[in-house]
Amino acid sequence: MNEPIMTDMRSEYSKTLIQIGKENPNVVVLGADTTDSLKTSGFGKEFPDRFFNVGIAEANLVTTSAGLAVSGKISFASTYAIFLPGRAVDQIRNNIAYPSPPGKQGLNVKLVVSHGGLTVGPDGGSHQQIEDIAIMRVIPNFRVFIPADTISVSKLTKLMTNEYGPFYMRMARSKTPLVHSESQKFQIGKGITIRDGSDCTIAACGITVRMALEAAETLQQEGISCRVLDMFSIKPIDNEILEKAARETGYIVTTEEHNIFGGMGSAVAESISESYPVPIKRIGAQDMFGESARDNEIPLLLEKHGITSFNMAKQVKKIRSKKL
Amino acid sequence: MGSNYYQIKKNILKARRLVIKATNIAGSGHPGGSFSMAEILGCLFNRYLKFDPTNPQWEDRDRLVLSKGHAAPGLFSNMAVAGYFPESELDTLRKFGSKLQGHPDLKCPGVEFCGGSLGTGLSYSVGIALTAKLDSKDYHVYTIIGDGESDEGQVWEAAMTAAKYKVDNLTAFLDRNFIQQDSYTEKIMPLDEKLEGDDITEMWKDASRWKTGDKWRSFGWNVIEIAGHRVEQIDAAIAKANATKGVPTMIICRTVKGKSIEHMEDNPLWHGRAPDSDVIPIINLELDSQFMIAPSIIAGDMTNLENEIKRCISGRAHYIHLDVMDGQFVPNKTFDHTKIKELRPLTVIPFDSHLMINKPVKHVRDYIDSGSDIITVHAEVTDESSFGEIHDILKQNQVGVGFAINPDTELPEWSYKFLPSLDQLIVMSVVPGKSGQKYIEETHAKMARLNSVLKEHNFSGYIEADGGVNLENIGSIFADGARVFVGGGALIGQQDMPVAIKDFRSEVLKSRRRLLLDKAQELGGTELVNKWIGLHIVGKKQEQIKKIAQEAGYI
Repeated sequence: MNEPIMTDMRSEYSKTLIQIGKENPNVVVLGADTTDSLKTSGFGKEFPDRFFNVGIAEANLVTTSAGLAVSGKISFASTYAIFLPGRAVDQIRNNIAYPSPPGKQGLNVKLVVSHGGLTVGPDGGSHQQIEDIAIMRVIPNFRVFIPADTISVSKLTKLMTNEYGPFYMRMARSKTPLVHSESQKFQIGKGITIRDGSDCTIAACGITVRMALEAAETLQQEGISCRVLDMFSIKPIDNEILEKAARETGYIVTTEEHNIFGGMGSAVAESISESYPVPIKRIGAQDMFGESARDNEIPLLLEKHGITSFNMAKQVKKIRSKKL
Repeated sequence: MGSNYYQIKKNILKARRLVIKATNIAGSGHPGGSFSMAEILGCLFNRYLKFDPTNPQWEDRDRLVLSKGHAAPGLFSNMAVAGYFPESELDTLRKFGSKLQGHPDLKCPGVEFCGGSLGTGLSYSVGIALTAKLDSKDYHVYTIIGDGESDEGQVWEAAMTAAKYKVDNLTAFLDRNFIQQDSYTEKIMPLDEKLEGDDITEMWKDASRWKTGDKWRSFGWNVIEIAGHRVEQIDAAIAKANATKGVPTMIICRTVKGKSIEHMEDNPLWHGRAPDSDVIPIINLELDSQFMIAPSIIAGDMTNLENEIKRCISGRAHYIHLDVMDGQFVPNKTFDHTKIKELRPLTVIPFDSHLMINKPVKHVRDYIDSGSDIITVHAEVTDESSFGEIHDILKQNQVGVGFAINPDTELPEWSYKFLPSLDQLIVMSVVPGKSGQKYIEETHAKMARLNSVLKEHNFSGYIEADGGVNLENIGSIFADGARVFVGGGALIGQQDMPVAIKDFRSEVLKSRRRLLLDKAQELGGTELVNKWIGLHIVGKKQEQIKKIAQEAGYI
């Protein structure tokens, strides 16, 4: 594969926010003392009246966003993943997801976080959120995205703006490789077949999509045709694309930088066990917390949890024997 | 403009009754915290909130956020009284399929906030207030928080945010009832200071020990501290808050959990518990038997009425009775509307202007302009037409309508049609004209006659006893049905007004306790009497009530 083009999700998010802020005067952005890091401060410079920094007070961040939303605004609230689902789940549930105005479900708040998963790196295990997908997807009315690259970030941010309701979107801290083309379409609840294949499937999300593509490439050289799905929409999950993959390829390896319990892999398993059960292998944090790793050591940290293209290819081959 | 003082009080009473009914039917719920904020909600719903029950989503409506969501029955009851849904719908509270959930929910149109998880309502309100600013809307956000919930750190996060963004379109109320689920707030997590012993009454009476207001002031808020069951104080505080620009306002309301029902008052047990069916009629009777003490200042130093007003304030009088005499209808002359206008700025305590003057219809507007909260005119100098005119003018101006009869006057038949909308009926128990007379004993019999007429014609106002009321007879006058007691020499004439008012209150209380015991005896004999007594567990209430029951021969 070609050397990837690395781009920064936070910059893309910021750029997109300013763009939609220009188009839609109801868009407001809130932060909690991480606005330079999240780069949402750019929106603040452009639209100072529609930008609120509530300080290091995440519960307050969430509920204030809800108040703005219930009275007609489209709230984007952003900080690090570890400080939103990990810290303010009560407010997320009771102030955003639960309140449902007539004919609607939940309030119009978009929680967009950065620093999801293990690739947070040097800050260590305390800051590496590997539980957020489990937390967020169990809350009714919430829809959950993990974009794989900056093209996804931009398109999903716009999509969320135009779609009423609560959303959670998790971005990565580090630069991520571009995997999609500008023409790629994104739909809620629709996975993307990013590489077709007939012998096996790897369902990936976020930074692991590129790894899955690399694994598929390796497998191809060994004569194994591997399908790769970008399951950016974790909730709702694309039952159709998963059932099809199960029927056509016989088994699925999932991969994510999240605990294997309750994450995207669990969501895939839940889905196909109700449609067309096939063997599944979940790659992700093995129910262990992360730890510090300098930027150049992050691959080592990922390797410790088996989140590598090498391991993906290995697992694909290993469970081939169990294939139905 | 909203309702007058009496309509507000009537609606508060209605809402309280509905809370009792609804929680009883539901078998659970939170009457205690519903009652501590009853007057706050009453003032908001009946005077300040802009809303349209037929269009709950009207975008310019004011927003009411009940952060202390467990007090949902209090909110729902006010919404029913305000016409959002029929009162009968409260019977579905907490039931499967009901829009009246255990905690306030957007499922019920008109509810603005899903309460329940405490400490979040203020942040939410800040968000709404910010939207109003962004959209250049002039709707206001009113938020009620509890003192127990102030343990939550998020309350203080929101406090800082509100000050930072200068949301002066946000007015918050702290329902400071000193009780949270486990026990007294000062025992669980002191907001003021650590409580020694169990006597919260002593704690809150000493305002110098209150520090909660200082906390809010230090967070950059405009703080107003009031007695949270006094409608007029809440009213004045909201008006002041709404006029304050550049900062949010916190109105700290000293309240009593379970207010109006003696056995629930200041009793942590009634945080979350529903009353039993067998005591409901007694509770309703208690709710209907709220009373007011009204010192009559002409019995004091006529050369320094300003000072008499100050004494009424220090005595925490409910009402100030102003006897206007013109030297024609009665031989004496006291003062007229110009004096009332002079006295008005001294206090927010309602002015009960009793016009003992000829041709009141000619002068009534002057008394409205002087700032009277209620104006009472005499049957002897009005007829159907002139009283009708007075009645309509007063109603239009949100002033209470009072009607008075002298000792030898029977209620005229032409007045019957006004009875349902009358706010007060003064039954004179002395010949008007001078103070210091003795109570005319025949008044007891007259009251008995009156009661049946009033009941028949749906009178729902207060009966005010005026003349010769003292500590010896006030209990029996209460038993007759009077609910406002004008005190001349026996109150204003006393050196220590606060003590005199307190003594008046405790005599009425004694009589009321007897009334309720009579009801218990009538409905359920000794067993119910004992149950009723047993409910009164706070302070010395139980032994006092027991003694009354023993004297009555009930136990």
